Amino acid sequence: MRSLASLAWRSLAARRLRTILTVLGVALGVAVFFATQTTNATLDAAVDTTVTQLVGRADLRVEAFAEAGLSAGSLDAIRKTPGVRDVAPTLERRTFLVTDVGPSGDPVTVLGIDPATDRSIRDTTLVRGVDLAPDTQRSVLVTEALARDRGLDLGSIVTFYGTGAPIDFRVIGIVEGDGPIPAVFGRTAWIALPAAQELFGTASVTTADVTVARGATVDGVASGLEAAITTEPYVLVRPAEIAAGMRDSTADIRTTLALVAAVVLFVGAFLIFNTLSMTVAERVREVGLLRAAGATRRQIGSLFLLQAAVVGVLGAILGALGGVALAAVVVGFLHQVEGLTVSGVTVRPADLAFALALGVLVTVVAASEPAWRASRLSPVEALRSRVDPSVGMRAQLRWLIAIAVVVGIGGIALLPGGLASGARLLGPVLVYCVLLVAALASPFLLRPLGRLASIPFGWFFRTETRLIRGVLTRDPARTALTVGALAIGLAMVVAVASVGSLSRAAASAWITDVVPGSTVVTSIRPIAADEGIADQLAAIPGVEHVTPVGTFDVALQPRSGASPYRVPAAAVSGAAMLGDGRLTFVSGDRASALAKLDAGGTAIVPRSLADRLGIGLGDTLRLGFGDAVTDLAVTGIVEHTFPAPDGETVLVSWSDATTSFGALGADFYAIRYAAGAPPDAPASVATTARQLALQPTSLDEIRGQAEGAVGRLFGLFDAIAIIAVLIAGLGIVNTLTMSVVERVREIGILRATGLTRAQAWRMVMVESGILGIAGAIIGVVSGLVIGAIMLLTQGGRIAWIADAPWTTIVVVAVIGVAVAMLAAAYPARVASRVSIVRAVRGE
Amino acid sequence: MSSVQVPILEARDLTKQYVVGDHAVEALRGVSLSVAPGEFVAFMGPSGSGKSTLLQILGGLDRPTSGHVVLEGRDISGLTDTEATRLRRESTGFVFQFFNLIPLLDVRENVGLPFTIAGTDPTRGELRDRVQAAIDAVDLTGKERNRPDQLSAGEQQRVAVARALVTRPALVLADEPTGNLDFATGTEVLEVLLRSCHEQGQTIVLVTHDAKAAAYADRVFVFVDGRVGDEIVLGRRAEHSATPLIARLAQLGL
Ligand SMILES: Nc1ncnc2c1ncn2[C@@H]1O[C@H](COP(=O)(O)OP(=O)(O)O)[C@@H](O)[C@H]1O
Ligand SMILES: [Mg+2]
Repeated sequence: MRSLASLAWRSLAARRLRTILTVLGVALGVAVFFATQTTNATLDAAVDTTVTQLVGRADLRVEAFAEAGLSAGSLDAIRKTPGVRDVAPTLERRTFLVTDVGPSGDPVTVLGIDPATDRSIRDTTLVRGVDLAPDTQRSVLVTEALARDRGLDLGSIVTFYGTGAPIDFRVIGIVEGDGPIPAVFGRTAWIALPAAQELFGTASVTTADVTVARGATVDGVASGLEAAITTEPYVLVRPAEIAAGMRDSTADIRTTLALVAAVVLFVGAFLIFNTLSMTVAERVREVGLLRAAGATRRQIGSLFLLQAAVVGVLGAILGALGGVALAAVVVGFLHQVEGLTVSGVTVRPADLAFALALGVLVTVVAASEPAWRASRLSPVEALRSRVDPSVGMRAQLRWLIAIAVVVGIGGIALLPGGLASGARLLGPVLVYCVLLVAALASPFLLRPLGRLASIPFGWFFRTETRLIRGVLTRDPARTALTVGALAIGLAMVVAVASVGSLSRAAASAWITDVVPGSTVVTSIRPIAADEGIADQLAAIPGVEHVTPVGTFDVALQPRSGASPYRVPAAAVSGAAMLGDGRLTFVSGDRASALAKLDAGGTAIVPRSLADRLGIGLGDTLRLGFGDAVTDLAVTGIVEHTFPAPDGETVLVSWSDATTSFGALGADFYAIRYAAGAPPDAPASVATTARQLALQPTSLDEIRGQAEGAVGRLFGLFDAIAIIAVLIAGLGIVNTLTMSVVERVREIGILRATGLTRAQAWRMVMVESGILGIAGAIIGVVSGLVIGAIMLLTQGGRIAWIADAPWTTIVVVAVIGVAVAMLAAAYPARVASRVSIVRAVRGE
Repeated sequence: MSSVQVPILEARDLTKQYVVGDHAVEALRGVSLSVAPGEFVAFMGPSGSGKSTLLQILGGLDRPTSGHVVLEGRDISGLTDTEATRLRRESTGFVFQFFNLIPLLDVRENVGLPFTIAGTDPTRGELRDRVQAAIDAVDLTGKERNRPDQLSAGEQQRVAVARALVTRPALVLADEPTGNLDFATGTEVLEVLLRSCHEQGQTIVLVTHDAKAAAYADRVFVFVDGRVGDEIVLGRRAEHSATPLIARLAQLGL
């Protein structure tokens, strides 16, 4: 042996299983951490790509505020504004493709563009065919995604529904990828602007993208535009603002991912600590010999640290590799959930370095306490057989706090915005504290919980349960850490799953709460009241009531005098909502608020907005539209209103909507059926709707979509949280194996006294099962607390304590016990194979 | 006295080889002996002469390489692990030199262990009385609640004896039970064993290298190099002075 260091190697090699499990634990922790970083980087890149595709090289985007859009006059004014170089107008509308059965399939976004100017600021890559020419009238470009979806190819005829008769277009080109519009899953098509204006019966456009001429400043042009556009309401946005908005929309996902990743790392640290502690305990004699032979405390300490560092480095490298793979899975998933354009996984070298460094750091910090303990062993004591180098409570506390700090820093680094994320930091920090408290409380809870947990086992395995009585509490620190790690992993699973199931239920309940009917028919254009479409729908046998709802944006003027901002609004019929029993009022009288609404001058505000702005009952809401400002009195605050992409809608009357806010008509109708409606009423509504170029969707489908989106996202988080449970399982394998090895003599005596192999095996299994139950109890309780914190800090409220997610709780408890028992399989085998003769032989 | 009765234990031509690496160790090289019911025999001999190996084979802890062991008329040399376990549970009791007790369990629990393992409850009814009787028999009345670390070494070994006796096994096997004890405490343990033999008719096989301990036996087998080198019949007597045995051993050049 050339140096003391090779002793570290040999020790690792001698306990191969333990070393492998520990490396695996570190690797899993690092993998999840690195995957989270990579996911963040990939989402960032995706946002940049999306924004580039959306606005191209434009410096400013003029967005029409109202449905009427930007008129030709406004476009002219934009073009003439000093400093403006190119102007690319776009008319964007959602419509349906016509097939034999009428408009069908998912809506398609049609972009009417001016090919000449558009191509000067946006690059569009064709995979096949040719680009639109400025004079093409009946040609269309479709995305690869749409072509695949609808079986289109060059030369195919596509029929779009418009305001007049449907119009046929011939596919002349296929555009690479998903197209520029986020969250529509690539269902995008391009036609020439005049054709689009004809199709949708308008002379306006929805956006105009502007590039700034050399020598002019963006700010200068922006103020020039503000002075120039006077006829219609509009907003001016910069690409950076769009990007910021998109990043914001992924912030909650990132926060949750960061939290779960930090927890996985935390559990990994438990594993390392426990393993190293066991190694120290086993090698007490060896340490004594080394010290007797002249090794210094420092040498002993570094021996153990070195051993940890080797594990840390191996685990971190393995984890980084696994992390890239995991990130690919996560990103693939988020691509579907958020509809972002993601192209490949973005691996940043800095992330890699950070993840590797953190992995090694966590390992070394986790190992520092056991290493220190080893270095403190007195040589005389160590050489005697009876020393107890087990973890003291104090040491455990110190260690936990050190680890929590290191992992916490890592976790914060993952948060969108890092330390600067302000209020968003509160949730994760609180969650973290709960986990820490749960871990710290484990040693004290272990005894009573162990006793409780052994009761059910006692029914089936009385002998084994009696035999392990007391074993659990022999080295409470070690057992507690194992249980604590399991509990933490399970807590995250419970928290994420319960928040997920509640969010799902909430999404579903929300829809039920606000939509006055059980079928929704959606229009691609606002339908004015005098078109008689509502009457046609109402005439279908079995339809009791048809409620038109129009959605539009208004500019809300905060009382503080800050600049106004865009708020979604919806025009509804108060009488219809009243009759349907929808909307849950938080304050205000439901009957009078809804009755008053139709007369105009009042508004009903969603709780989320009221909370954010501090709006109370009787306050005045100043809503701007163009240059006009309308004051509405708040007569009610409700739990939820119709959801819009950027918040919940303010409910106003149809009269205010059409006279003051430029609403042109209904965007969807909610259809309620009579009690004794014929069973085919929904089918008749669907048929009629399609004939009227409306898209019918049942409330169940809408609920299903909402639940599905939430469910997939939380399923992903849960899958990651399960990794923490797996790491805890590795810890259990280590702890139980160690405990069996230590008890070889006891097991020998028991076997000599008549214990069968099967009983020895069951004994270890029962021990682990009890650990599993104890972990599950602590995990479920702290998981519910964490779930509540996550919900509260993300703007939810705990109205759900009453309907705790029982299924989740049961499933998690079963997972906990199952992981514990699976982990026990190997040590149990070791116990059943103990050689009696060898075990009882003298020293 | 042994020749008249049907032996309770018989070893026929036992051999045992241990394979260590690439060479074999001949621990037993053909041992034959028989023990009568209620007899107290001792195995003596130098360290490494195969005493423990034989004891383990006789008690069903290990299997011979060849030869047979007949306990209570049943050949136990080819039992499966489960059968051997059952045998240990019902027919034999062991006392080892070191580490006989489960540190976490108190005296009563340690003594009741064979019952617990068998799935019966030693804290109730007749079994409880038997546990108590076994504790009383080894003079540990009043220490039922003590843990092993609250007992002296001699007391610990007496607990081990009580545990070996509590199921009233056909055979009690003790491997150097006094090896770790001083003379006085060792004597306490031996007295307990002797009493169970004389008063309950318990059959006992004791391994020892100490002539003073072996002097408690009715018969002493002297082992040399994996074989029975000699057999010394001391007979049952009231007083257990080691002097005659030591004289015999000296005669044999041991
Ligand atoms: N498990 C084993 N593996 C290898 N050799 C063994 C084993 N057990 C005992 N031996 C050897 O068998 C011989 C007899 O040992 P043992 O029965 O313990 O002797 P005694 O008890 O008389 O001192 C010794 O040489 C010992 O080294
Ligand atoms: Mg021996």
